[in-house]
Amino acid sequence: MRVKLIYSHGVVEKPILASVVLKTGVPINILEAKVNAQKGELIVSIPASGDKLREILNLFREAGVQVQEFAETLRIDWEKCISCGACISPCPTKALRFRDDWTLEFEEEKCIACKVCVTACPVKAITIP
Amino acid sequence: MPENNEELRSIEEINEKIKRGDAVVLTAEEMIKLVESSGIEVAAKEVDVVTTGTFGAMCSSGVFLNFGHSDPPIKMTRCWLNDVPVYKGLAAVDGYLGASSMSETRGFEYGGGHVIEDLISGKEVVLRAESYGTDCYPRRHIETVITLDDLNQAILVNPRNCYQKYDAATNSSDRILYTYMGTLLPNYGNITFSGAGQLNPLCKDPNYETIGLGTRIFLGGGIGYVIGEGTQHNPSSGFGTLMVKGDLKQMNSRYLRGASFYRYGTTLYVGIGIPIPIINMRVAKTAALKDEDIFVNIRDYAAPTRPDLRPVVKRVSYAELRSGKVYLGEKEVPSSPLSSYKMAKEIAETLKRWILEGIFFLTKPIEPLPKVGVFKPLEVRRRELKVGDIMSRNVVTAKLSDDLRDVATKLVSKGIDHLPVVDDEGRLIGIVTSWDLAKAIAHDKKRLDEIMTRKVITAFENESIDVVARRMAQHNISGVPVIDKLNRVIGILTTDDISRKVVGGRSIQ
Repeated sequence: MRVKLIYSHGVVEKPILASVVLKTGVPINILEAKVNAQKGELIVSIPASGDKLREILNLFREAGVQVQEFAETLRIDWEKCISCGACISPCPTKALRFRDDWTLEFEEEKCIACKVCVTACPVKAITIP
Repeated sequence: MPENNEELRSIEEINEKIKRGDAVVLTAEEMIKLVESSGIEVAAKEVDVVTTGTFGAMCSSGVFLNFGHSDPPIKMTRCWLNDVPVYKGLAAVDGYLGASSMSETRGFEYGGGHVIEDLISGKEVVLRAESYGTDCYPRRHIETVITLDDLNQAILVNPRNCYQKYDAATNSSDRILYTYMGTLLPNYGNITFSGAGQLNPLCKDPNYETIGLGTRIFLGGGIGYVIGEGTQHNPSSGFGTLMVKGDLKQMNSRYLRGASFYRYGTTLYVGIGIPIPIINMRVAKTAALKDEDIFVNIRDYAAPTRPDLRPVVKRVSYAELRSGKVYLGEKEVPSSPLSSYKMAKEIAETLKRWILEGIFFLTKPIEPLPKVGVFKPLEVRRRELKVGDIMSRNVVTAKLSDDLRDVATKLVSKGIDHLPVVDDEGRLIGIVTSWDLAKAIAHDKKRLDEIMTRKVITAFENESIDVVARRMAQHNISGVPVIDKLNRVIGILTTDDISRKVVGGRSIQ
């Protein structure tokens, strides 16, 4: 699950993300970070689902962080995709792979939205919403 | 068992069977399965034709176009389609649009391959051309829109397609490489490969017994022909290629797709299928070759050398590459193709259907293709500038024990920005720049070892200026110490040296 965490002026200096990682043991991955003295915005990937995910999101909210959930990590235009496989080996989490019939398959839960596939795709079939 | 070259059936006999509707046609995958289950002898006896397919990026592709004459007419000397330059060293309104020609306004995003796809899709394309004006062709400028239907001819003529196989790629360096073999992650992070292996046309007839000048093929969803060996045809090493042509107006954008490789350039994915008539036992055997039998090298693209000099990391089969992981030493490295095996299968199946439906007949080549021949490199016979030609040899260096004030004095008095730091034997241990000194003052640092860069980007004396200039640009630095094999500093090369002393690849010293 990919979410945007918005830190307001009041909480931006607190090590909230580190506390959540320590408390839950879930290795949250920071994909993008814009932080200054006034506010901070992080885009993170949380490798969890169900109750665990809800617990983590609640911990952020309780600490005063605004949480925005992204509905999808990346979007594949299946009309454009030629199932060449150029995106598969660069993908660090094996979220992209072949089915038995050699068509491309995308496993959303594994995706950390690192975007390496976006530039690797020769027919521009992959975009980040 | 029949001898290898004893004729089992002629092309004429096969065409008669196609006409009657009783030819036995299998895709290369089906042929492999039949040989596994029933043996080569049964397969050779039963099967008339094996169909193949490949769908990959083929940069040496393009289309000859004839625009027709406007009124008043123009002798187009420069021409663009959707801002992509068209080759105009031909008659007034003839042109050649190459797949890797890139848009002058959209660059890597859009090129000749995309224009070709747009034309086949029926889209309008902006034609722009210039001329100097002549008595017979007075017009000097034209801008209009055209579609594929408007063109008198649009003939796909691809000088090099359908590589028999292709070496795979990996990257030993510590940075990501964007190549024509796709995205290569650092530290052997992945392997990419190209070609359909056991479905690849030239892998199924590597002795050129059935594929030759005049062979009718599936090309881009229409009918095409082999018109000779392709450029870089290297049958002696198992890297044969084909030159092909076909009428673009019959083709289908499903099988001709514009593409771009990030930070490399644009190209065209071309779909090709070739029927292999099983004329003798030897062809039956090669038509049944499997991914396990077809080997290529994995080469390291970190080396900025010509393709055949890129170090070979490992020799592997297409089966290993297609399995999705290859062991490099102890390390399991993910591998994936750049060409579509799914589309290659679809092409082989489509060609099979055409033959079964009696709408595609086989041709006998009117000339065989060369079975020997190698791919020679380009020797550079002019003296080229090397780092040693323009580097400064009087290098001012610093010692680790030097006081920062002395370091600053050296930079100012010599009017330089880079100071290599060396040990007592003159070996490089770091570098300090005027910018580092500015930071030292800002952060109140006192010692050289606190501010110097230890991981120094360097060059050798015999390296090409172009390679080192690119290295500096990639690391966003303005100078490199030049070292010998013992890591001793023998010179320094700066962007200043390059901009002042080099013009058009020649020294102006």
